[in-house]
Parts: sequence; C-alpha cells; structure tokens
Amino acid sequence: MKGKMSIRYILVALLLLIVALVPLVIDTPYILGIFVTTFYVACCTLAWSVLGGLTGQISLGHAGFMGIGAYIAAILMNNAGISPWISMIIAFFVVGLLAAVLLSPCFVLSGAYFTLVTIAFAEAFRNLFTNWSYVGSGQGILIPMKGNSLYIMRWVSKVPYYYISLIMLVIFFLVLKKIDRSKLGYALKTIREDEDTANAVGINPFKYKFIATFISTGMIAIVGVFYANYIGYINPDILKHSQSLTYVLPAIIGGIGSVTGSLLGAVIATPLSEFLNASLSGIAGGLNLVVYAAIVILIVLFQPSGIMGWYDHSKVRKAVNSKLDAIDSRLFGRKDEG
Amino acid sequence: MAELLEIKNLTKNFRGLKAVDNVSFQVEKGSITGIIGSNGAGKTTVFNMISGVFAPTSGNIIYNGKDITGTKACYYTEMGIARTFQIMKPLRNMTVLDNVISGALFGRKHLNKASEAREYALEVLEFTGLYEKKDLYPKDMGTPYKKRLEVARALATDPELLLLDEVMAGLNPTETDEAVELFRKINENGTTILLIEHIMRAVASLCQKVVVMHHGEKITEGTPEQVMNDPYVIEIYLGKEED
Repeated sequence: MKGKMSIRYILVALLLLIVALVPLVIDTPYILGIFVTTFYVACCTLAWSVLGGLTGQISLGHAGFMGIGAYIAAILMNNAGISPWISMIIAFFVVGLLAAVLLSPCFVLSGAYFTLVTIAFAEAFRNLFTNWSYVGSGQGILIPMKGNSLYIMRWVSKVPYYYISLIMLVIFFLVLKKIDRSKLGYALKTIREDEDTANAVGINPFKYKFIATFISTGMIAIVGVFYANYIGYINPDILKHSQSLTYVLPAIIGGIGSVTGSLLGAVIATPLSEFLNASLSGIAGGLNLVVYAAIVILIVLFQPSGIMGWYDHSKVRKAVNSKLDAIDSRLFGRKDEG
Repeated sequence: MAELLEIKNLTKNFRGLKAVDNVSFQVEKGSITGIIGSNGAGKTTVFNMISGVFAPTSGNIIYNGKDITGTKACYYTEMGIARTFQIMKPLRNMTVLDNVISGALFGRKHLNKASEAREYALEVLEFTGLYEKKDLYPKDMGTPYKKRLEVARALATDPELLLLDEVMAGLNPTETDEAVELFRKINENGTTILLIEHIMRAVASLCQKVVVMHHGEKITEGTPEQVMNDPYVIEIYLGKEED
C-alpha cells in the first residue's frame, strides 16, 4: 500500500489511542504492571527478532545483553548521576559493539551451535556479575528512589512507565518495520533463508550478521536501561537464560521472521503467563509453568511457523485484505495498487 | 574475440579424492560455453571454484585479465559473475518477487532503495516469464518455475558472466525449448554464459563450444558436433563397441 490515507492506518491509530487511554480507566497497579511488562517484553522480542527472526540466528543469550544494559544504567546512575536517557544511548552502542565483537568469531556457526554459544556468553556474564563486587556481586544493585523525576526516570506511579514503554514499543516496531523493508532487511532475510544464495547474490554474511547483532543487542540493552529504572533493583538473575526464553517464546508463538508476529506473540504470551500464574499457581506451585509449556509445545508441534506463519498463507488474510481494500476505495476513492 | 574467463590447470582435492584434475579451458566474451560429462565428473566443483564456494587446491582462475583465484564467494557479484545452484536454493519464506529483489539490491545495479529494486526485479520477472507468479512462494511453483527463479535471481544481479548449473534438468522437451530460448535472449543482451547441462539437445543448439569432463579431467573440447562425434566421448557416454 503506497497511499497516504488508508483504513489500515486509521485502525492502527485507533488501537493506539485506546491503548494510550488505558491508564485513565485502570488504576490498579497490578494490571498496569502487566501492561508495562507486556510492552517491555514485546520490545525485547522485537529487538531479538532482528537477529533471531530476520537473520535466522537464534540467540538464547539476549537476557545477558539486556542485563548488561541494565547494569550500565544502574552503575552510571549511582556512581556518576548520569540520566537513564543518556544511558540508553550509551548502552545501545556499548552493548551492541561488545556483543557484535564477541559473537563475530561465532558467525560461521549455524543453527543450534550458534545458539549454544549465545547461552554460554550470557552465562559467562552472569557469573562475572555474580562475583564482581563493584557491581554488587550476587546481591545486585539498588537504584535509590529519589522522588518523581523525568531526569532520573523514576516515579512512584506506574503510569509514566506505561507511556515510556508504550512509546518505546511503538518506536521499536517502526524501526523493525523499516529494517524489514530496507536493503538491510533483504540482506538479513536472504542470509536466513540460505547463506549460499546470499553469497551468490553478493551479500557478505559476516558483515550483515555483525550489523544485525549490533542492532539487536543494542536495542535490547535499551530495554535493559528501562527495566533497571522501572524495577529499581537489578541482580544477576536477570541475565539468566530462562529470561532469554521469555523474550524468544513470543516470537515463536507469533511467528519467527514476522515483525507483526513478534509483537502479536508478546501481546498474547505475557498476559497469558501472568494469567496462568495468577489462576493456577495457587492450586499447585508450578502448575502455571506446566500449562504454559504445554501451550508452547502444542504451538511448536502443530504450527511451527506461529500465528503469522499461518495467517500469511491463509484465506483469512486474503479476505481481510480485500475487505480493507474495499473500504479504502469507498472511503478514499482509490484503487488498490497491489 | 577476447577471453572473459580463463581456467588454468585447475585442481581440487577433497582429502584423497581428486574431484577436479588439471582442467584448463577458456570462455570467450559473449559466447555460450557448455560443460558436459557424466555424474561425478567434477563439473559442479569447477563451478563452485569459479564462484568462490571452494578455493582451488592449485591452478588459477583469470577473469577479465585479473587473477581471482580464491576470492571469497560474496565478492563475485560485484565482479559480474552470477550463478545458479544445481540443487535449487530458493529463499523459501520469501515471495518470488522478494527473491529477485534480493538479487537486484546487491547486484551491480547498485540500487539502494527497495522500491527501485522492486521496479527492476519486476522487469527481470517479465523477461524471464515469471511475472504472473511474482506473489507466490517458491514452494507453490513447479520445478520449471523454480529453475527459472534461480536464473531470474542471478540475472537480477546484472552479471557479465552467468553460470548455469543444470537449469534444464527435469524439464520436459517443451519447457527445455522455452529455457533455451530464454538463455539465447540473455546471451543476445550481452551476457556471457557458461552452463553445465546433460540435455544434449539444449547444449547442441545453444553452445558454441563444449568442454567434456570425465573423472575430474577434461577430455576434449570443441564445437558440439566435434565433441559428439569424438570416439572417446561416445565411449564414455554409450560404452565401447564390442568387436
């Protein structure tokens, strides 16, 4: 769609407006908390999908890189009084470069071997932080609450965090969409589909994997900065690889390789796990995890390409698209350019 | 005519196995050259060395007067060498159009915007007869179209030398004739073609020169008629006549 106005944009804008109005209606911190978690997990999933979804390099170490971002924010705040907003920029470049340089010798590895290396890196950093007294060892770092302030990104209420994470999510989504349609996106997707073909059309896999790793880990480090200030306390547990799974599973549910799918998966998966946690863990400890795992296994077994993988090849998509096009041409008097 | 590609004493060993043994031949600018030979003769290995997938054990590959032996695979597009794969390698989760856009974006047209590449990719699809299929996924098409997609993607990089690895295998006679027609058109537009093929009808009608390989060695080369009447070639293909 090349048109300026389209019913699609209007629908998206409407949805955004509704989401933006939620804090006016709901003031339960618990519910708002679920929203914030959903948003920042969605950000993490989107960041992950630059490398995992578009490039096909499945990383299970992204919690590690998010964690480093969080640590950078906490240390800079506590020791130098640097605003988290500036830390976001610093974290993006420092973590992005660090991860890309560290992982670059492993770009020749494919499939599960690359994944194993990413787990190893995250674990190495977790151990490092657990034993490093400068960063609080196993006890972690507390970012002291100094009252509501935009400069230090601290508020008692959850509402500002709601909007920050929502804006961050919108930006991340737009960045991902932009990458997806750009020359870079084509390079990454070609590498994902077939590295030999990528080479044969003149794409240097090493160069583009480096760029993808940089962007992906840099972006998740930004979320880490947000996380540190939202929670106000960080410890090495946030680098755990089970945390990485939390960011990867939404992509699997939504459809690896699809930007919209990653977002959709996160919007479904996080509230689902919260709901299961609230409703089942009272009956038997850990039951929620069992049910959650079962749902994920069923999806992987019967719909490995996720929701968007099904949707992209389904009749529903055609029906929906033609409906929307029909509305478009009625409203704006424009034929679909297809 | 000038030589575009010169292969000099090319040898490739896989551990103890000599896959290609001391092969030399030339490809003239603007020509269509064929490599034929039975399975396992080393044809594809030669291709893989010309396109940088393998580095040769010894020997040289000279392209446009420059020694390009051992250059990494991703730099050949820029030099103007494009290839197709014998075992088709479509980008499976991307539409036919997106497959070709990939070729167009990173080829010698130096397009930086996906929208420009799209225009050019559509031209290439039109030219290769895939325009109607542009929104399909590769898995939804039959073999003839997948083979065409391989060619279209390679062509989208705007190559000077096109390496075609058995792009006509598995096609019926009508489809083969269509493919032959397409390659002739590509060649007339100024692209030099080096192809591996088993279908002799296609080779005979397309190629000005044929190189015959057997067990990793070059046996002979010449026009299709010369080659097909060569007693040794006949012996390899059909067996020796008993006295």
